[in-house]
Amino acid sequence: MSIVERLEALLFVSDGPVEVSVLAMTLGVTEGQVEQGLEVLEARLDERGAIDLVKIAGGYQLCTKQEHAELVVNYLKPQRQKLSRSLMEVLAVVAYNQPITITEIEQVRGVQSEYSVRALLERRLVEEMGRKPAPGRPVLYGTSAQFLHQFKMNDLTQLPKLEDPQEDAFAIVRSTVSPDA
Amino acid sequence: MAARLTPERQPISALGVVAPPPIHVQTPSFDGSLGTLFQCVRDHKVDLMEVPLAPICEAYFTYLLQSPDVSLDEAAAALIALAHLLERKAWGLLPTVEAEPVVEESLELPSPSVQRYDPAIEALELWHQERSRTFFRDFESGPDPYEVPYTLSNVSAADLALAFERVLKRAKPDVMQPLGAPRKSIAEQMSVVLKSLAKEWLSLDVIVPDDITRSDAVYFFLALLELVRLGQASVRLGETEVEFARAA
Repeated sequence: MSIVERLEALLFVSDGPVEVSVLAMTLGVTEGQVEQGLEVLEARLDERGAIDLVKIAGGYQLCTKQEHAELVVNYLKPQRQKLSRSLMEVLAVVAYNQPITITEIEQVRGVQSEYSVRALLERRLVEEMGRKPAPGRPVLYGTSAQFLHQFKMNDLTQLPKLEDPQEDAFAIVRSTVSPDA
Repeated sequence: MAARLTPERQPISALGVVAPPPIHVQTPSFDGSLGTLFQCVRDHKVDLMEVPLAPICEAYFTYLLQSPDVSLDEAAAALIALAHLLERKAWGLLPTVEAEPVVEESLELPSPSVQRYDPAIEALELWHQERSRTFFRDFESGPDPYEVPYTLSNVSAADLALAFERVLKRAKPDVMQPLGAPRKSIAEQMSVVLKSLAKEWLSLDVIVPDDITRSDAVYFFLALLELVRLGQASVRLGETEVEFARAA
């Protein structure tokens, strides 16, 4: 049996993302060989079948292809709840500034955010990451592996880069002073 | 610095008040009798912080011990003067509360900078949408538990409300709790409710303990609903009312 087939078998039975190091250890091969095998498997799955190989939440996992979404939805009837604007705001602030306290989140948003943080904790999109060594020892929050999974990310480096507001201000001043520049 | 008894005595002042005994005080900032020091301090002519009071107290004790014909009126006047000076100096030595610095408040309200995250929120929403079109093997790592389908069979929200209303009617009023008392989490309550469920179908009245308070009844019911939503408890419409059981 080739390494590609063995990888497919392992990923098929896995109920979560599997790291390359774990696959390499299980198969008794190098991580490089695993990565090569995963590339081949990805291309093979891409060509045929209803399953995709995705790199997600720090590992690899099999999932259904997007074109079969409606069929699966009709079968599973999942009760999807879209995240509200306030939850998305809090999630973004936490993702970019983690670890962060509720007070710091509120400073960025300008509104109370405790309820939103609790809602995100319930959905396991954020998690406690310890306590800040400051008066009152407030809880620090950060995003979870579930967050990466739910937003189809492999790691936090994939978050879109934010524009520096200071740079914006400089650009406005520059364009005002010398509009031709 | 020195403090000593001086020979001259003026028991009655010009105003007819008993004057303190003539204990002479000699410091770099003041030289004179205790009575004069008292007056000068009272009139803010001498800085009491620069006058050591311990030698004056010693001189007072010497005066008490060495003067056989000590006048109680004079001794009391000196004691009052000394006590006043000691108290005044003690208050002066206490750390003073610094006045709060005046912060120049900007005229504009602090503007929240959350708009900065708008592009990221848009991207996250897009990814979330894309992700919702893919399904993974296990819901724990795939769709979140909020997406797990659940069935209420033929039970309507009104049936559930009716059952809950019955429980609430027999629940006891809440006892006043001190502020900040620890609250029970739904997760904790869920494990309690799960233990009270059986394989047999039971009505909510039977499942909920008799001596429950209204708040606890609410917690109990919410935890039960959560268990139903997560598929750990089942619900059906019995002959007369809603019944619950532990999921198979």
